[in-house]
Amino acid sequence: MTGATLVVVLFSFTSHAAMLWAPAPAKHGHGGHDRHAAKLFKLIDGQGASVQLINPQLKSMEMAIEQGVVKVKSTGMDNYHALVATRSGNGVNESAIRYVYQFGKPSGESPSNIMGLEKSKLEIEPSPYAREHWRYQSGTEARFILRFDGKPLANMEVEFTTSNGSEKKVKTDLAGRFVVDLPRDFAEVNAGRMANHPAELILTAGHSVAGERHLTTFSADYHVNPDNWQSTQLGIAAVAGGSLLAGIILLALRRRENR
Amino acid sequence: MPFWKNLSVIRKIVQLLAFVFLVYGSVFVGFYSADKISGAFPALACAYDAKTADYCVLIPLQHQFGHLLGPAISAGVFGLSVIMPIVTTLVSFLVLFVLLNKAFCGWLCPLGFFQEVIGMIGQKLRINRSESLDSSLIDRIRPVKWLMLLFLVILFPLASGLGFVGHELGDPFCKICPSRILTSLAAGQLNQLYIDTSSIGFMILSIIADTMFGLILVLSLTMRQPFCRICPMLAMHTVFKRVGLVRLVKSYTSRCDKCGLCAKACPMDIREIHTSKEKDILFPDCTLCGRCVEFCPDKGVMALKYVTIPIKVSDPQYFKARNKAQKAWEGKKPASRKRGMV
Repeated sequence: MTGATLVVVLFSFTSHAAMLWAPAPAKHGHGGHDRHAAKLFKLIDGQGASVQLINPQLKSMEMAIEQGVVKVKSTGMDNYHALVATRSGNGVNESAIRYVYQFGKPSGESPSNIMGLEKSKLEIEPSPYAREHWRYQSGTEARFILRFDGKPLANMEVEFTTSNGSEKKVKTDLAGRFVVDLPRDFAEVNAGRMANHPAELILTAGHSVAGERHLTTFSADYHVNPDNWQSTQLGIAAVAGGSLLAGIILLALRRRENR
Repeated sequence: MPFWKNLSVIRKIVQLLAFVFLVYGSVFVGFYSADKISGAFPALACAYDAKTADYCVLIPLQHQFGHLLGPAISAGVFGLSVIMPIVTTLVSFLVLFVLLNKAFCGWLCPLGFFQEVIGMIGQKLRINRSESLDSSLIDRIRPVKWLMLLFLVILFPLASGLGFVGHELGDPFCKICPSRILTSLAAGQLNQLYIDTSSIGFMILSIIADTMFGLILVLSLTMRQPFCRICPMLAMHTVFKRVGLVRLVKSYTSRCDKCGLCAKACPMDIREIHTSKEKDILFPDCTLCGRCVEFCPDKGVMALKYVTIPIKVSDPQYFKARNKAQKAWEGKKPASRKRGMV
């Protein structure tokens, strides 16, 4: 799925939802190997919102938004940055949060700092978020915490949707934690990681306090599970084959020694 | 012999603690610490393990050659953004390496520990062990670690970055590394034990990885540390070994010529430690396990030192007690002592 069609799909199936971040199609295609290239994100349903980029050292900078798109250039600092859109009016406080990995000089900070930072009153914190060699994948679990005023929110409903059309509701436990089973909902799966485009997962939560409505979304990409082209059964068979081969080698060596 | 005086037992305890830290450490120090602590650990601690607390230098090196240096050479654009990550990785490696030298292999590497544990199981199962490999076979095996470093860690990733070979060879050592399978299995993941059918290249690499893991599992029962002998980390350590603070030294005596117990005790079959007349006997295959010092029967002939401070010096009393403890561990009768292996 290209970035353009992804945005169209997100528009169509989240028409009832709060504002959210989605990857925007790049104007000029590139090989995808320039790790310092700017990344574009579209703020869907985000008219009138203000946008900030928070770096791993928790310093924030205002971001310009043009035609609903924000261009996140390299900050020269390594690790996760938070892209935060906020909007208030008519008794509704909205936020949309997305984490963007940037390459650069080591920040010296743990990503837990930026994940744990209170970026809006109501917030969905990935717990944990992916780190190097890890990513959200279909057929796996993703864990989160729902917070309000920095404290966990128990027994709240969170709406989970994907750009592939899956929908479900999950509930937070007493510690505000909830687990999402990422669905195997890719219509077409090709062999190989590079042969499949990621889809988007969106979590939406709402909470009302003292006549004020709070809405927040968290979005991230998730990928086709490699177990579609990686067979554990065959892997175990190959290990067994290697063990058998070792046994044969040892027997041959023993026989030679005995002779 | 009390266990706290037995260097091999102390080493096993250190290895066990290192294994727990390197395989499950993020439970104690936080999930993201693997990205934070160094990324240049001088032993095979795998980033594919979801609970690891630190990871091996070979991962960033391959990625930097493949994703930074190769494309930069292709584009003819060099800058600090290309050079600095590689320099940072190597300097971080060097700082950690200086502290412990090649002892990262013998004392901290999770795969080294795993092979030793399998070997101990083999001993307890009374599987007839090949304590030493044939010297001609050892000579043939020794260059392999250099080829692994040169081709799998440097040249193939670089060639992949330059576009000469496919991206399957972007991080080929990780693709075949048995520690990737071991540490992820130990962390309760099956997702690194697979045959990848997405391309011929990935399929071949995954078959090599799994078959080699099976070979190591069985060979370790009867042969000491089979993978260590071809590990590129050993070769990488050798490049820098002169700057490490842990030293293995020998004061040659004429009795050394007749003895040879040190070479027999060496799990890497370094026969040169027995014949060498040099003071510095830190050979390329050495993992600084210290067994040669333990099994040297002459006072002060061999020593493991931290700069100039002796950590362990050979001693006849220790040798006798250690040899007895070894026989007791192996369940051998006293009559077999004279010809028994150490």
